[in-house]
Amino acid sequence: MNQNHTALTARTFVDVHAIQEELDQVRWGLHADGEGSEAAQHAAAEARASVLNLITVVSNEPELGKVSQVLDRLSVTNPSRTLILLAQHTREADKLEASVSAQDRTESGHRVTTERVILHAHGEPARHLASLATPLLIPDLPVILWWPGRPQFDNPLFDDLCELSDRLVVDTDEGFDDTDLTRLLEVARRKKARAGIGDLNWARLMAWRHVAAQFFDMPGMLARLAHIHGVSIFHGHDGSTAQARLLGGWVRSRMATVGIDVPLEFRPDESFEHGICRFLIYTGGDEGPARFSLGRLRGNRLSSQIRLGDQDLADRTVRLESRATEDLLGIELTLPGHDLQFEQALAAALG
Amino acid sequence: MAQAVTAPLTQNVLRDGLILPRTPDPAAMVIFGASGDLTARKLMPALYNLALNRYLPSGFSVIGVADTALSEDEFRAHMEQAVQKFSRTQPVDRAVWKSLAEGISFVRMPFDDVDGYGRLATELERLDRERGTSGNRIFYLATAPQFFSVIIDRLGSSGIAKAGEGWKRVVVEKPFGHDLKSAQALNQAIHTVFTEQQIYRIDHYLGKETVQNVLVFRFANGIFEPIWNRRYVDHVQITVAEDIGIERRGKYYETAGALRDIFQNHLLQLLSIAAMEAPPNFDADSVRDEKVKVLKSIHPIDVANDVVRGQYGPGWVGGQQVPGYRQELNVAPISNVETFVSVRLKIDNWRWADTPFYLRTGKRLPSRASEIAIQFKNPPHLPFAKTAVQELTPNVLVMRIQPHEGASLKIGAKIPGPVMRLRTVNMDFFYGSSFLVESPDAYERLVLDCMLGDATLFAREDEVERAWALSDTIEAGWGAQAPPPFPNYEAGTWGPPEADALIERDGRRWRRP
Repeated sequence: MNQNHTALTARTFVDVHAIQEELDQVRWGLHADGEGSEAAQHAAAEARASVLNLITVVSNEPELGKVSQVLDRLSVTNPSRTLILLAQHTREADKLEASVSAQDRTESGHRVTTERVILHAHGEPARHLASLATPLLIPDLPVILWWPGRPQFDNPLFDDLCELSDRLVVDTDEGFDDTDLTRLLEVARRKKARAGIGDLNWARLMAWRHVAAQFFDMPGMLARLAHIHGVSIFHGHDGSTAQARLLGGWVRSRMATVGIDVPLEFRPDESFEHGICRFLIYTGGDEGPARFSLGRLRGNRLSSQIRLGDQDLADRTVRLESRATEDLLGIELTLPGHDLQFEQALAAALG
Repeated sequence: MAQAVTAPLTQNVLRDGLILPRTPDPAAMVIFGASGDLTARKLMPALYNLALNRYLPSGFSVIGVADTALSEDEFRAHMEQAVQKFSRTQPVDRAVWKSLAEGISFVRMPFDDVDGYGRLATELERLDRERGTSGNRIFYLATAPQFFSVIIDRLGSSGIAKAGEGWKRVVVEKPFGHDLKSAQALNQAIHTVFTEQQIYRIDHYLGKETVQNVLVFRFANGIFEPIWNRRYVDHVQITVAEDIGIERRGKYYETAGALRDIFQNHLLQLLSIAAMEAPPNFDADSVRDEKVKVLKSIHPIDVANDVVRGQYGPGWVGGQQVPGYRQELNVAPISNVETFVSVRLKIDNWRWADTPFYLRTGKRLPSRASEIAIQFKNPPHLPFAKTAVQELTPNVLVMRIQPHEGASLKIGAKIPGPVMRLRTVNMDFFYGSSFLVESPDAYERLVLDCMLGDATLFAREDEVERAWALSDTIEAGWGAQAPPPFPNYEAGTWGPPEADALIERDGRRWRRP
């Protein structure tokens, strides 16, 4: 894949109108002095594809560096306007700086341009960055708030940004505890500053959910699902259980829609450090006992097996993608508004 | 802890919210012509990528059938090499391939060998028993067309294709006949064994993301439908242009020509999609009903006045000197086969009455382009009197299929300055700039659709026959005329001068794609 990446400009501003003007310059390639040939003006009138506004909040420079790298890679598949807010309200001296840049990429002959604004604030301005972000958004496009790490649920900036966003994306694998998960669910359910929730950890579960659902697409298997009587999930021994609980919450919430309560069992597995290792669904009923099992194999693969009574059906091996943050984020960015299945799974995981 | 279930499940609730297609039932796919090019280049890589992305069910199995001296292991190794060479995803995941290969077997037999079908039946029964394929079978005819009828006949007489347990489907590759009569004969032959609902006539063009996107563009955006009619549209131009020649296909092309190779299928498919009414839903018959209605509404073609054919002579394309058609490999030096066709069509319905559709296709044209261009009527009044603006350029909406898939809208804009001057500006949308993701191969989509029993993107009997009838009308008209003095266009030009005259008679011009 041929790739060309050019930073068109990177200058520093402190005034919102100056930032807006610079954004126009980098977006359309206009010359500030108004000069330019007719051909240049024609080129300036070329339309640009943009699919969303992305706001992300970081609290220090190293985090800014990491996030910038993810966004660089993300921009290949999501031409967007990105605002990175470096909010350091604990620093006393007031400070507000902005830098504007545009990345122009050519991928397989397609030109993609992404504009990026970094807003760096200390002291009081750091609490009001949402007021600066609002006029910088491209109208009519969805606004996604990506909050790396555990969100500062009590920071007013969090509420302000949720209010102007269609969707909040977090990663519950980054040390979320029950309180964090509960607060997250509240964001999806509250009346004011309500945003849809996306979770990179949920996106990581996609293959597990997909293959588990496929078991019951097979002829004759749906009837067995009606007699589900338990789920066991084996997870890594590092103490992080958010992913396993979400998967359990998913089965439980889905089955609750048809009035079936599913007992969940979680067990650490010493052979894996992190994440889900095995996922077993047990069914009974008139069709007899059955076990539907998924197991993570070394080398990013998932094996699936069905055991009916004492008979094993054909098993298969499929890919279990190990996705980078930008890929998981890319998945979440394509989902509009509220993901009810996720919200219900989260509620069931907490319930 | 068993649960009391109040009602049986009617749907798989675990599937709710998953943005993934339904999983097909476990099935056995029997590929006739398994040692051929299509299987190696397209089918097996498509199956591997479907397996990789978790779209294939457990127990999915493939039986390769060919009269080639290969053991089962050699066939599997041959298929693995094919996947390594032609898969769009690289490197090949060996564990996934191994899992898929466990379900691959091979039956060596000539296609007319009655005993061979007995061995095939035994193998299918084994798969039902051991891999749970439950009598579900897809018979994929990846052979040369002359074998279609005999394979169908043997599938019927051996009882392999009989209903019994599970579903049975047959996939037939293009070309589906070479004229109306042969297409009808083939339909009839297939219908002695399979019903229309079991037949999947594949035209990979319809599996392209880009062609499907035309439907989305039209029917998922409310702003276009109100102006998509004779009141606002001046005319429509549909182009499938190729800059290449016939490559090594001289033998085939001598029996086909541009009319059968492109007009009868690709061009008429694009015409149907551009002109059809909105279907009530996206199921197979609703979409195909609307497409067939378009073909049925085409006004009888006046071949002498509304069709132009051409054949390229030597010339220059893309800086390269290229031979004429008659100098190509396996082409007769006095061949009168056409490599270019342009047609003016009218559609007799309320939406399109008196709105001409200009279709053209050709080889060795200056560039490669497939597109549908909708040219709108000029505004009824020119409000810029007493200015330098003497005329307006009409708006054109172009849906590009390839290359650079996307859409563009040509609009007029004022040139900055004290004098009122206008110039044309293109608003371009490149599909790839918004979705920089790799699209699945057309075969992946179509094979999966067949497994799922969704025939929306496959051609129906009446659609194929109607398209052949139109093509035959043109062929018959040509038969009544002396052929033009071929070659009549130079390679690297946009076809013969008569093609320009065809559209210029109506006061219009061909677009330069």
